[in-house]
Amino acid sequence: MALFQKISQLREFVEEVLKILYYYRGRVIFSFSGVALGILSICIIITTIDGANKKAQVIFEALGPDAIMIFGGGERQRAARIRVSTLRTGDADLLARVEGVYDVMKVFSARNVMMRYKDRNWQTQAIGSTTNYFESFSWGFQAGTVFTADDYDRAEAVCVIGAKVHEELFRGGPALGKTILVGKLPTRVIGVLEERGGSVGGPHVDDRVIMPLTTVTKRIVNERRYLSMVRLKTHRDLDKTIEDVRATLRASHGLKGNLDDDFTIRSSKDILAFVTVISGSLLLFLGTASIVALVVSGFVLANLFYLTIQERKKDIGIRRAYGATQKGILLSFLFESILITFIGGIAGIVLSIVLGGTFEKLFDIPMMFSFKVVIFALLFSFLTGLLSGLRPALRASRIEPIEAIRG
Amino acid sequence: MIVLKDIRKSYFVGDRELPILKGIDLTVTKGEFVVLMGVSGSGKTTLMNIIGLLDKQTEGEYIFADTNVDGLDDEKLADMRNNHIGFVFQQFFLLPYLDAIENVLIPIVYSRKDIKHPRDKAKVLLGRFGLEHRIHNKPSQLSGGEQQRVAIARALVNDPDLILADEPTGALDSKTGGEIMELFRMLNDEGKTIIVVTHDPKLASFGRRLVRIEDGAISEDIAT
Repeated sequence: MALFQKISQLREFVEEVLKILYYYRGRVIFSFSGVALGILSICIIITTIDGANKKAQVIFEALGPDAIMIFGGGERQRAARIRVSTLRTGDADLLARVEGVYDVMKVFSARNVMMRYKDRNWQTQAIGSTTNYFESFSWGFQAGTVFTADDYDRAEAVCVIGAKVHEELFRGGPALGKTILVGKLPTRVIGVLEERGGSVGGPHVDDRVIMPLTTVTKRIVNERRYLSMVRLKTHRDLDKTIEDVRATLRASHGLKGNLDDDFTIRSSKDILAFVTVISGSLLLFLGTASIVALVVSGFVLANLFYLTIQERKKDIGIRRAYGATQKGILLSFLFESILITFIGGIAGIVLSIVLGGTFEKLFDIPMMFSFKVVIFALLFSFLTGLLSGLRPALRASRIEPIEAIRG
Repeated sequence: MIVLKDIRKSYFVGDRELPILKGIDLTVTKGEFVVLMGVSGSGKTTLMNIIGLLDKQTEGEYIFADTNVDGLDDEKLADMRNNHIGFVFQQFFLLPYLDAIENVLIPIVYSRKDIKHPRDKAKVLLGRFGLEHRIHNKPSQLSGGEQQRVAIARALVNDPDLILADEPTGALDSKTGGEIMELFRMLNDEGKTIIVVTHDPKLASFGRRLVRIEDGAISEDIAT
């Protein structure tokens, strides 16, 4: 059966429902806000998880899917944030001979080094590395260029500065050829890195000064034996290479039997796994919160509706007397509840866009707002309206007109 | 247009049968103005509900507009009510969230008839009843008499064959009540069939036929 013969009747019907909602606005606003909050948290979950995944993808690509990093100190010490020097310069040379390995990068980072330019001071890390550092991280230059093998061999006092350091010491102005003090060492700036933004569980990625490894270990700190990190790439299967790397290092460090590793191996796979765990806990926490919010608002809506029906008995009776069918009453009540949750859902989406943008700026949480989010949110709000409206609507439709009119 | 044959209606209270209507035979033809009179508890309202297709008889046959309405489903009954009957109630029953003209348009929302320009029609009706300046007032801003006139306009907007009024003057003072009855008289002069159900003997003179109900049966049926 077509419920409405003419478009004008449908319009009339919709207008009436809107007027009903306005008339009962005090109650409507309760259920409405509940739904809006529920949908808001759903949107935040999805955008944050999508954002985290996208970020992970970016990190994954930046690190290279074939990259392996080795740090000094076992898992336990790393977890306790204890830095242990166990990775030797010689280890890097051994690893270079492992099958399939290429592009070995050595890193020694000196923490908390004071950088000075004129009257400006900035404390950050001085990273000593090999010449392949920038290419390995696919890190481009705003200005200038990379240090050379000659610079490396002669431990020249040259440096490449990150965008954050550039900002702090030069206020973004020209820096090439200027001399800054790295600790006590006057050092020439030969390059400025492009801004990358964000951080991966540590200091800001743009907050760094990169110099030849030799310069850092010989002229800034006196550290001839150890490295903080070795990074390498492989042509072979990642897991197999990791196995070989581990065996090589255990042999070199004289670790026998079931002694724990005194080094830590990380690959881009670990980062993906880490992000998955983060997304998982986020989903669990916020997901529970949003479902609870939706269920509670659904109940509130259902109960308010139920109460209203008593009050609207005459309304129903009149409509029935004037030709509304049971189906018509059912549909109009369902439409009402779905409209409330639907508008609530839209409000939640808008709110999440506004709040999401603010979050992104405040906490540096990446958000990925997509069409998928909107579809999800609308679907959820629709379902909430349908489920909570169904019982009251059925009850309303079963009211006999005479019962209603008699009061 | 209305043929009632031995209509009986009982309610059951536990095991006990409580007869309300005890065999009503009544025929109302097109263009009549019937006042259905009876004291409270006589069964007159139950009879009106059956005539208005809002309730079903327990026994007997009811033919409305040449259709035996026994066994029609909810949808068909709703359709019949919408097409043929305009209701007027004691308490007006205007919807509080709609203004006067929107209340008048309620039957149109459910109508299958092709009513041209229903808004204009509603306006004309309200104008005829002296409410042209009240079109956009909510029921709470109208007096009792004005509300009842809006309700009558609502009963008329879908061109029904029959106006069924249950104590239409019950909530009004006698002067306003008289005006409402005059209005029915005028509509009857235009050819509408009208049935007014009341306990108030003063209203008898406005109709053209008086049917008195006593204890679930017709005790008097005279032309007035």
